[in-house]
Parts: sequence; structure tokens; C-alpha cells
Amino acid sequence: MATSLDNVREPVVATPEARKAFEETALKTLEKFGAVRSEKNSWELMVEVCRCNLRATVQAIRDELGLDMLLDIVGIDYLGFKDYAGPRFAVEYVFKSVYEPAKRLMVKVLVEEADAKIPTISDLYGIANWQEREVYDQYGVIFEGHPDLRRILNHVEFVGHPLRKDYPAHRRQWLSTNDYLYPALEKRLESKGYRILERPEEINPSDEEYLQGSVKK
Amino acid sequence: MKVLTPEGEEKNLMVLNIGPSHGATHGCLRYITALDGENIAASVGEIGYLHRGFEKTAERGTWQQVLPLTDRLDYCSAMMNNFAYCRAVEKMLGIEIPERAKVIRVIVNELSRIADHFICDAAAAQDLGSTTGFFYLFDSREQTMRIWEKLTGARLTNSYGRIGGLYRDTYEGFEEDVLAVCKTVEKNLRDVHACFDRNRIFLDRTVNVGSMTPEKAISYGWTGPGLRATGVASDVRKDEPYWDYETYDWNVVTGTRGDVFDRLMVRLAEAEESLKIIRQALKRLAPGPVSVEDPRVRVPSHERVYQDMEALAGRFKSVFEGIRVPAGEYYCGTETANGELGFTLVSDGSGHPWRVKVRPPCFTQFAAFHELVEGGLIADSIACLSSINIIAGELDR
Repeated sequence: MATSLDNVREPVVATPEARKAFEETALKTLEKFGAVRSEKNSWELMVEVCRCNLRATVQAIRDELGLDMLLDIVGIDYLGFKDYAGPRFAVEYVFKSVYEPAKRLMVKVLVEEADAKIPTISDLYGIANWQEREVYDQYGVIFEGHPDLRRILNHVEFVGHPLRKDYPAHRRQWLSTNDYLYPALEKRLESKGYRILERPEEINPSDEEYLQGSVKK
Repeated sequence: MKVLTPEGEEKNLMVLNIGPSHGATHGCLRYITALDGENIAASVGEIGYLHRGFEKTAERGTWQQVLPLTDRLDYCSAMMNNFAYCRAVEKMLGIEIPERAKVIRVIVNELSRIADHFICDAAAAQDLGSTTGFFYLFDSREQTMRIWEKLTGARLTNSYGRIGGLYRDTYEGFEEDVLAVCKTVEKNLRDVHACFDRNRIFLDRTVNVGSMTPEKAISYGWTGPGLRATGVASDVRKDEPYWDYETYDWNVVTGTRGDVFDRLMVRLAEAEESLKIIRQALKRLAPGPVSVEDPRVRVPSHERVYQDMEALAGRFKSVFEGIRVPAGEYYCGTETANGELGFTLVSDGSGHPWRVKVRPPCFTQFAAFHELVEGGLIADSIACLSSINIIAGELDR
């Protein structure tokens, strides 16, 4: 039998004291990146950082604080939010530690609408690749340096970003085609050391067109 | 597609498309593979065929109106999603649900977990060509469904949870029915273990197929049985106990290799652990309220509404304006059958959620699908797909 019932470790239950201790360490560690505790989340620790320090912060979160799992990347649109003045979008990152459950942390980055760009962290966490694609798909926030930024839940022909507050929920769009996966497949092959020598003639879109989601002409 | 392999050999790779409507994709998803003979050289997945705008729809209603939508996430264990959502909102409201509600939630949760794990293993057995295994595992599930019908009025989309408690109390004879299911589950487990454990064909198809290392699994954000199969004992029920899970006597099951076999067997072993929890919980089932009394959270009952002015006004306000959740942004993860189902909720203090973000556990697992299948045979990719239990309703939202 391959499965075993014995615990690899004694379960470490997240106690309020351990949480508090972690919050203090985290705030001290992330201080140098200008991270401040956000008052928005009164239940758990959430820090706000400038997007210029995001990569350094996430690096420290992973290596110094030991939060090895990125649970989610959440986009938020504050258009029309009650008593809110500030950048329109926010991107929130939810981290946790697999082995030390008292460690949980959210990082919030505010993004202006006119300059909706944010550095990618897809090289630090494997799952960030798809999660960033989802935020891009739903909100149109560009993740700079992302290896393959294209829509994920909506298909290529989709126009607009549906979770923006100014996208009407009743708008219908007719999507007739699958995503064009050849470039991604070729990229994947190339990353494994293959070199593409020949590809079918009719399917060779440029990267630019592909990212715009307008392969079909 | 003509390529030069890393070994410097010129080869013709065949590109094969699988899905979106393929019997083994369990819903709708698609992946294309570059095949070198029968071996997969590279694979890329595409999701979104079942995207129906859960998050956009959730923003339009009140906090309570999100609840029936959560049924449609992981539709094999709908009530677990209900409870996960309710728990997130309850945490924001800062309310504690009554003792009886907790115990019923635990029983229903664990019974759903067994049903969900059984569906996954049954479908995997079917995909691997074992119809016997499929029927053994679907046996107790049908019995569970009959309990759901009596308890909630529906088989699949139950909407049994409510913010602050439950829709209604259990029916007479609930305990006996649950105990009877437990017996059937035990019998099914014995049968299916006898069918699989030393079955040469099954072992050849699953052992050391689609292996995952713990480091990669963590980097890809795997949770639940998929992560535990790699040997990482991580379970939200143990790590951050809720609904008194810490007071029950049960174990976290882990695998060793993280292959298809481990993932399927961890699920079966977890079903056994769930049985333990259910049996203990049934003994704790004492009479009491199943919802909080607070009229700001829980809609007053009809009897009170027809006799009491305050209750009438409370019901009206609650239904039309929604529960007022304190302003803020909060993430809350709950252990469902597939892993950690998280809800990131943003509230502006009104009765309508500003943003509901779901963290579906199988999204992370499908994101790592290429890691599982590359280097393996094309037929094994089907085994990998069924072992990570992709539920498209949850994957695409």
C-alpha cells in the first residue's frame, strides 16, 4: 500500500498568539519596502505596498517569512465605491505557509487606471502565471514581464474586461472560436529544449496580434 | 510540426487536440499535446468553457443571494461550498453559529466529502476501464443523495447553508439514515479496495504515473488530496480548526509519491477518516437552535413574521436590503473535498457584496496539469485528469 495514515508532522494549530507574533515579524521585515498595515482588513494582516516594491516584497515574503504558497490573486475595481478616493484598481495577493498555518498574509497594491501595469511574480510562484492571466482577463491590468499574458476564462474574441464595474452585466458577446494554443505549445516545447523547424503555413500569427486576441482576420 | 529535439534529432511531432467535448474531460476543458509517438512532449491547457460570470452575478445581488450560486461551483458537493461561503461572511460579521448547526454542518460536510471523493474515484475507475469500480462507488452516493433530498429538498444544488446557520433542522430519522450510509460506505470501501489494491492492470495504469513533487505542488498552490498525496500533511481542518474540528479524533492522510494511485487512494482513506468524524458527530447531536437569533443576520421565521411587527420589518429589510456586512476586505479559506476553497470578500458596508472572488482548488491543479502529463503516455493523461478531480463548474466559475 502506498498511502500511509501516520502524520508526517504533528499538526501545528494556528493559535492567536502565534498569529500575533507573526504579524509583528512580518511588519518589521516588510518595513524596509514601505509596507504599511492596511486598515481595510481588520480580521487578518494585510499590508499595502507600492507596486515599485512589489517584487522585492514578495521575494522577502517567500524567502524570509517563509510563506511558500500563493493562494490567490484578486483584482478589485473601486469605481463608484462609497467614499473612496484613490486609484481605481487594486490587486491583492493572498499568501499562506503550508507548514506553519499561523502565517497568513495579504498584500495589496493599488493601480491607477491610466497606468494599469504591475510587475509579474510568475517566476516566484508557479501558480501566479494563471492567476495573473485571470486578473488581466477580468480587469485589464497588465502584468509586466509575464511570459504568456492572454485571456484565460474568456476566449480570444472577447472584447472588454467583464469584472470592471462599468462593464454592463447584461452585455452579450458571441464567441465562436477556441483559443489558439499553437504559440503557447511552441513556447512550451522551446522551454524544454526543442527547436521548431517547420510549422504549418497558415497558422503563424505574430505575438502582438495574438496578445490582442485578434488572431482571426 | 517538425522539431529538433534536445538530443539533436529531427522529428515530426503530431499535435493532438483533446476536448472541449470529450468523454474524459468531465465537463468542458481542452488541452492540446505535441506527441512524439505516443509520448507527450508538451501540453497546454485551456479553460473557460463553463465560465458563466459567477463573480459578476454575485456583485449584483445581496449577500444572501450569492448562496445558491455557490452550489454551482463544485456541484458534486454543493453544500460544502455553501458552508464555505457562509463561514467567510460569518467571520466578517463576527458571529458564532449555534452548537447544533456546527455539528450538522460537520456531518453534512463529511458526508459530502465522501460523496465527492467517491465520484472522483468512480470516474477515474471508469476512465481506466473499470466499470465495476464505478458502480461500487456510486452505490453509497445514491443513498447519500436520498438523504439530501429529505434534508434539503434537492439532490444536487441544495442551498442548505445560510449565513448564521442552516436553512432548517434535520428531519426525523436523519441519524439512522446517516448511520445506514456509513455502513454502505464501509462496504463499498471494502469492495473497491478488493477491486483495486492488488489489481495488476490498475496498478500499471496508476503507479508512478503523473507524479508530483511536494515542492512543485506547493509552488502551484495545490491543496487538499492532491497536495496530501505528495506527502504534505496540510489540512485546513487541522491547521485552523473551525466548527470544533479539533475536538474530533481523526487523522490527516498522506501519500508518498504523489502519483495517480496515491491521489486516488488518499481519497479513499480520507473517506474512512470522514466516517470516523461522522460517527463522533452523530453522538453530539443535541437539540437546540440551528441558526443565530440575531434578526440582522438571520431572516425571522414565518411564525414570528405573521405575529410580530418587528419581525415583519426585519424580514422585509433583510430580504430587500440584504445583510449588512461590515466594510472591509477579507480572505477566508475552508477545506472542501478538492482542497482549500477560498472566498475573498470586499464589502462597502451595504447589503450587497462589492466583490466576491472565489479561489477554486482545481484551478491550481489544472494549472499544473502539463507538469503531470509531459513525458508520459497520451493514455495516461486521461488517468491524470481524472485523478485531480477537475470540476469545470468550479474551475471556470
